[in-house]
Amino acid sequence: MFRARATVTASLAALGLGLVVSVSAGGGQSPADTRGLGPLYNAGDRVDGLPLAAVLRREGTAEFVSFVYGDCVAADDAGCAPPAEIQIWPACRRSLGLYRGATDRGALVEPISLRGVPAFLFEDGTRLELETGSSTVVVFAGTRGRVLRIAAALRTLDETVSPGVPLPKPVRAEGGDALDC
Amino acid sequence: MHRLALALLAAALVSLAGTPAFAHFDGADWYTHAACPASADNRIDPINVVFTGWGTWGRAESQVESHEGWTAPSGSTQSFGEHGSCSPLHTQRASGNGSRFHVRLRGQHPDATLGWTAMAAAHHEDLVLFPLACGHAVDANGPAGSGFDQGRDELERRFTSAGHSSDRVWWGNTQSFKQCDGDYAGSDGWTVFIQLHQVNH
Repeated sequence: MFRARATVTASLAALGLGLVVSVSAGGGQSPADTRGLGPLYNAGDRVDGLPLAAVLRREGTAEFVSFVYGDCVAADDAGCAPPAEIQIWPACRRSLGLYRGATDRGALVEPISLRGVPAFLFEDGTRLELETGSSTVVVFAGTRGRVLRIAAALRTLDETVSPGVPLPKPVRAEGGDALDC
Repeated sequence: MHRLALALLAAALVSLAGTPAFAHFDGADWYTHAACPASADNRIDPINVVFTGWGTWGRAESQVESHEGWTAPSGSTQSFGEHGSCSPLHTQRASGNGSRFHVRLRGQHPDATLGWTAMAAAHHEDLVLFPLACGHAVDANGPAGSGFDQGRDELERRFTSAGHSSDRVWWGNTQSFKQCDGDYAGSDGWTVFIQLHQVNH
């Protein structure tokens, strides 16, 4: 059974902002290609008191890079939810338009605007999805307050977008749908 | 005569009130939980299958046994949230006690469109004995999907092969869950709705 093993090489440069992350898919493979994902966003090496604990790269039936913050204790037959996680998806694989079918089947969606871009809150505010550029950023955390604090701290790894500033507007195809991959 | 009037009045009130407020499928909580009350902190598994039509939990259990041959009732208890409340699972079935497929089920109120519904959290998990003997761990994310995706796909494949209709809905419940072997696993975000017959097999 394939077991993805992510490695995080996080070296802090000056001011603690120069986080360098390498992502590998395991099995001795070379670092995974993150092209097509757009700029990677995270919340730095620490957010809301939680250290960056893991970076995961998923390809195949889902496509994202994940930044896991904080740790939890899993047991036999019972995994556990890390305190916070940020997933960066290409908008062509995940966009707010995908929820059209879900809302017909009982899904509760709370549309908001955050840092100048459209966003949805789900599950009592413990999941946020926002569209920026050609990416969809998904934040999971235990409370609505923590989700929003993490959203405020989002920045690009290449430092072209800083925490708190408006995010780039989503790039969409004609008609408003997400771009094709 | 007085009783007849009361009965008519009661019928009229029911008619005016319409369908009870709870009689709909509640898809607002897309994870199982370690305990009640349900919270984001005690999530364990993504819900990735919904049985509809005659999807009572008893029928779902019976037809999982029939189509999959998963008859082992072993596994830890987890809870499901719906309509603002939280309750333990109704049943669970696994394909064995070692590395195995495993599904937990809880029935819901009937829905005007979907009929009887039962939510299910399915996965494939390895029995991890080395280097750390930690027990069952859901298969980590991989090219064929995580163990959660594999469990869902297995149910979808066997049920549709047996003539049940199904379709997929995007729920986006892709949160990563740390497993006892240190790996992470998560759903790819798609939930499959499988229609059940009235008659068990």
